[in-house]
Amino acid sequence: MDIGQLVGAVQIPRLELFLPELTVLITAFLLFTLELVLSSPLKRVVLPSLSAIGYILALMSVGVTIQFHGDTFYGTFTNDYLGVLVKVFELVIALTVLAFSQRYFQSKGSFYGEFYYILAFTLLGTMILASSYNLIIIYVSLELVSIGFYILTALLRGSFISKEGAFKYLILGGLSIALASYGAVFMYIYSGSIDLREILTYSGGDYHYLILGLVLFLIGFAIKIGAVPFHFWLPDAYQGAPTPVTAFMASVGKLAFFIPVVRIMPLIEDKFALAWMLTVGVIAAVTMLYGNFVALVQRDIKRLLAYSSIAHSGYILAGVAVTKVIGLKAVIYFLVVYAVMSAGSFFVVAMLERDENWNNEIREFSGLRFSMPYLAFAFLVYMFALLGVPPTVGFVGKTLVFMALSFDKLWWLAFVMILSTAVSTGYYVRLVVLMYMKDKEKEVSVPEKSYAELASLLFLTLMTVVLAVAPGIVWQLLSPAAEILFAR
Amino acid sequence: MDIVRTDFPFISLSLALPAISALLVVFLQERFARAVSVVGAGATFLLSLLVVYLFDYSRTSAVQFYEEYTILDELNIKLSLGLDGLSLLMYLLTALVSLVAIVWSVKDRQVSFRLKEYFVAFLLTESFLIGVFASYDVLVFYVFYELTLIPMLFAIGVWGYKLRLYSAYKFFIYIFVSSLFLLLGIASVAVVHYKNTGSFSFSYFDLLKNSYTPGLEIFLFLLFFIAFAVKTPLVPFHTWLPDAHGEAPTAGSVVLAAMLLKMGTYALLRFNLGLFPDATVKLMPFMVAIGIITIIYASWMTIVQNNIKRFVAYSSVSHMGFVVTAMFLLTQEGLRASVIEMFAHGMTSASLFMIAGFIYNRLHTFNMSSLRGSVKFMPMFAVIVAMTSFASMGLPGGSSFWGKFLTILAAKEYSYALALLVLVGAFFSAAYILFMLKTLFLDVREESILIHFTDIRGFKLVSFIMLMVPIFLIGFFPHLFFNMFEGSIGFILKNLLGLE
Repeated sequence: MDIGQLVGAVQIPRLELFLPELTVLITAFLLFTLELVLSSPLKRVVLPSLSAIGYILALMSVGVTIQFHGDTFYGTFTNDYLGVLVKVFELVIALTVLAFSQRYFQSKGSFYGEFYYILAFTLLGTMILASSYNLIIIYVSLELVSIGFYILTALLRGSFISKEGAFKYLILGGLSIALASYGAVFMYIYSGSIDLREILTYSGGDYHYLILGLVLFLIGFAIKIGAVPFHFWLPDAYQGAPTPVTAFMASVGKLAFFIPVVRIMPLIEDKFALAWMLTVGVIAAVTMLYGNFVALVQRDIKRLLAYSSIAHSGYILAGVAVTKVIGLKAVIYFLVVYAVMSAGSFFVVAMLERDENWNNEIREFSGLRFSMPYLAFAFLVYMFALLGVPPTVGFVGKTLVFMALSFDKLWWLAFVMILSTAVSTGYYVRLVVLMYMKDKEKEVSVPEKSYAELASLLFLTLMTVVLAVAPGIVWQLLSPAAEILFAR
Repeated sequence: MDIVRTDFPFISLSLALPAISALLVVFLQERFARAVSVVGAGATFLLSLLVVYLFDYSRTSAVQFYEEYTILDELNIKLSLGLDGLSLLMYLLTALVSLVAIVWSVKDRQVSFRLKEYFVAFLLTESFLIGVFASYDVLVFYVFYELTLIPMLFAIGVWGYKLRLYSAYKFFIYIFVSSLFLLLGIASVAVVHYKNTGSFSFSYFDLLKNSYTPGLEIFLFLLFFIAFAVKTPLVPFHTWLPDAHGEAPTAGSVVLAAMLLKMGTYALLRFNLGLFPDATVKLMPFMVAIGIITIIYASWMTIVQNNIKRFVAYSSVSHMGFVVTAMFLLTQEGLRASVIEMFAHGMTSASLFMIAGFIYNRLHTFNMSSLRGSVKFMPMFAVIVAMTSFASMGLPGGSSFWGKFLTILAAKEYSYALALLVLVGAFFSAAYILFMLKTLFLDVREESILIHFTDIRGFKLVSFIMLMVPIFLIGFFPHLFFNMFEGSIGFILKNLLGLE
């Protein structure tokens, strides 16, 4: 190959597509450097505010990237409506995580400068994960997100459950990445390509490699999203992690880990559709049933919400089973709104945890309405949203999944979903009853709430209702996103 | 179905009025809560009277006062509000009974704490119920249908009697879970519309044009039916009702019995009969059988109740049996009977629950055996009890007469055996009412407590009078009400029997 050809093949990267990631990347490195050089009191002010500025800038640059679509970095990075939509939610929730984490760590008597840059790197990973078809890039960003999560989970160094959770997560997370990369190898053997679009539309070659590869790849992701029977790390990690981090994992993490699955979904060819539907459908059914039944007997609120998160993976997977446009729309909608609901509910717990006598036990919610009326109301909204009571986003999500299921006449899965939602009524309504209808068990008071926290909580709670009452807000991005993915 | 659009948004105004009053209650001081809610509910009632006056009775099958606001274009979800004759009647019922419930609560001793929340719950219920009866978008209907659960959960759970938490759970879980089937059904009809025409739609008018394969139609009919059968309730799905009605505060029971149960029967008529005509005709015998079983079983259960609230609750179930039996006879008479009975039962059951609540205020017990002779020395109250009971029994001149009479008439056209069964049901309902009257009026008891009782007066008397007026209006001038919904049931019937 002569030098001219080589130079000619060099592309100039289209940075306008990569702008949000670039902003977060620069922020992360700045945070990293400043954390090393600044004095301790200064750090407490500079690091959070710099992160916030960086994320806001990134959010603004997402607005810029809406206009540009296409691939860059030799086809390894793809910017499309799906990526844009997901990134908006990821960045907004990351901002609220910032708002809650400062006071939270203060109440634990510690300040971790590394929290901020690890959060930024993790966020960067989730953003890249949301916009790539390339197996290598998916692998790398998956590692970036996972390593960030391992560290963030173990951040409370003194706490035993924090370490336990992180360790479990590390072992099973490592396994998942190993499986996913092994699967990627088989897919490469099958098609000679590392681009998912080419792999899945490739014809010729031995199909067994594709199936083996796809199954391993998906099992890797099933571990990450906490699908039963690969969920064992999830409740421990969610319980052990500092609560704002749990919120981040449950919302942004779940969203990001689902995106490669979402991108594979429209590429499934008709001859595999039935196998896909059955496999994913069975996993979805088991996941939602298991998650809800086990959540019923939890005593710890964070574990309860963790199992509810597993159950929601099941609901979303039920939509994934339907490889039609409506299924894809249901999945994307449910994913982004689940991020809002779960983040909000964990944030309420994060605020309550600042009370010294608070042990995260469910019975402590008794009579919460009397000591903390607004917080209790916010939690009520989240409980009803997670349960799927209108007019909240959870309801719209479930409706869309039902539409998708009846589109493919997957009645059995719809009935399993009804059954598991029925089971979930038990624990969601119990929390509402405890908060509003039981007498106060003890005084709960949260010291010095900051405006940033209150504003974030108000925003998320409002979004839980607004995105359902005026779904057009997400739909104008979501609908073309799904249509474009299917048009390929 | 024709649509008559409106220049002035009457319906959204009557949706908004109670909601705005609820907001005011939240933000004003607690001592204004009562006044604001009475004024809010009163204004809504006046507005409903205005709407009833402005309604065009020459074309009651048309949806009048129609408004439409797009929620999501792509799936064709619209907030479409309007009233045809049937909805109009239910809308009037809602506005009236909500006002009655709120006026009653002004002086109810059970409601001495968390006043703001209490009135917010009832005002919101009113708003949501109007939404239920005025929605012509199936998904929006579902939203309002489910929303009524939340304030009622609170009403039962916070201000209820001893077993309130158990009952609140049971109520919520039963209805929420059953309505998930409805949600699946709604999602499916929209998908069927997509497969027929290429676009999703939740609009009732679009869904009327759906065509189904026979198996699917029956399946969807049953999905809808499960939800409404639990709500109505029909035996064997009724077990939540005695608990919920028995433990709820008086006004809560009033709202539950008079309006929430009507959501079930209204929706059966509007959606099951309207959207799945072929399935309805096929399944008609089973539905009538369920109706008859409900009438007779619930009447028997009523007679043996020892708690007067559970007594009234079971009597409601039996009345709902009449409504459903009449409805599924699928004749003009039957539908008339069914709709007029819905309205009539709203009045009488509300009144009966208020009677139970009033006696509880005096005697602090719901136990039938301790209520012996309790209305002596309260002449005015005794008159009210007698009037309500006779009206509920189906005596001519009272409101339930037309319902029962027309049901028997319609059943007779089907077969004499069936008419006889309905007659037996009517006999049992007379039996339990007479049993109650005997306990309250004729049984002897130590009179030293009773003479201290003061007679009914003030707000409570007003709320009773508000119910007595329509009870006799229906009894003596039924055509006023029949005229309202003649066209709507004619439309449903035509659609059902394939006449065009």
